[in-house]
Amino acid sequence: MSERVGIIEKVKIPSEATLIFGFPDVGLVGVIAASYLVEELNLAEVAYLESKILPPLVVLHDGLPHSSIRIFGNEKILLTISEVPIPVDAVYPVMDALIEWSKSKNVKMMISLGGIPLQDRQDATELKSFAAASSPEALKLAEDKNVEPLTEGYIVGPQAIMLQSAANTDTPALALLSQCFLNYPDPEAAAEVLKDLAKIADVKVDVTKLLEKGEEIRLRARDVMKRTQEEMGKMKKGQELDIPMYVS
Amino acid sequence: MSIRKKRSFSEMIDEYFQNIDQWVQEFGESLAERPSWNLRDCSLEPLRETVITPTEVLVTVDLPFTSKATVKVKSAGKNTLEISAKMNRVIKLHELGVTHCTGEFQKYHSYMRIPVAVNMDKINVHYNKRLLEIRLPRKQ
Repeated sequence: MSERVGIIEKVKIPSEATLIFGFPDVGLVGVIAASYLVEELNLAEVAYLESKILPPLVVLHDGLPHSSIRIFGNEKILLTISEVPIPVDAVYPVMDALIEWSKSKNVKMMISLGGIPLQDRQDATELKSFAAASSPEALKLAEDKNVEPLTEGYIVGPQAIMLQSAANTDTPALALLSQCFLNYPDPEAAAEVLKDLAKIADVKVDVTKLLEKGEEIRLRARDVMKRTQEEMGKMKKGQELDIPMYVS
Repeated sequence: MSIRKKRSFSEMIDEYFQNIDQWVQEFGESLAERPSWNLRDCSLEPLRETVITPTEVLVTVDLPFTSKATVKVKSAGKNTLEISAKMNRVIKLHELGVTHCTGEFQKYHSYMRIPVAVNMDKINVHYNKRLLEIRLPRKQ
């Protein structure tokens, strides 16, 4: 079976943009944050993915079919968002295709928006956020903007592939991770990563509306969260909570 | 001799679907794809999570658009919980992006089977930020 993943461009793609990823993952933090960016920045769809390794599914908007993984953008940013969880077998081919494509567009930096599960999250009054980076320089960039580095631990999923590929090719990359619920949609955590994104990539949005719509988002995102839970289980996402064993 | 009230056909059908629904929710989640909503009783099935520790079972349930006063948790048989909560406002199906049928939701409703033996008499319920937390001590 071919593992070809095609990226179909609808318009001319700007060069040297920042590529942001928002995929369904813990607390749906990335996808909630990315959806809010699309809405607030009025980003247009500039490209989409097509592949036979993705589920036979289209997303209908205004009666017309769309790919479940789309790229929105303007002159400064390209934002990849998936409206459904990426099946575990497709994660590598999808990320490899996106990273290869990003090189052809001279992307200057990659940033993945996501979460890191917190036990007893409902009792937390403040959410901390962290950054994991592809290089010491990228990590320093986050630290200089007062985003705490995630110094030890495991990262599982698309952002793991992004960080490793970026490290291999000397492309600056960051995973911005807010403490969040593991299995419930978490708009508050999404607001936290957007605040960090504003510091690092000059992508500023007012998160007030996101917080106001929090309950509605929690309600609407239930089914995507449920499907995401299934994929996270297959991906061994729980490994992110494991105590790391280092061999020096 | 007990006198049994004669039931209408629609009541019997409703009861049949209720029983099926309860069975599927308790035992058959992985067996069939089914929607997370039920238009017959205007209910949504909430997201929930179960954590088992050596001493207790912790169940959390996400209940946006609810208030503490309307949350009900009760035993529905051996090691089965019935959870329900009324919503603060009626949610129309089309508000959730479903346009191929009409309907509305007024509550959350769910049955869930606790996978280990627990002491249902010592149930402890806590509600914070529209998240329900149920603690059940395990039977030793």
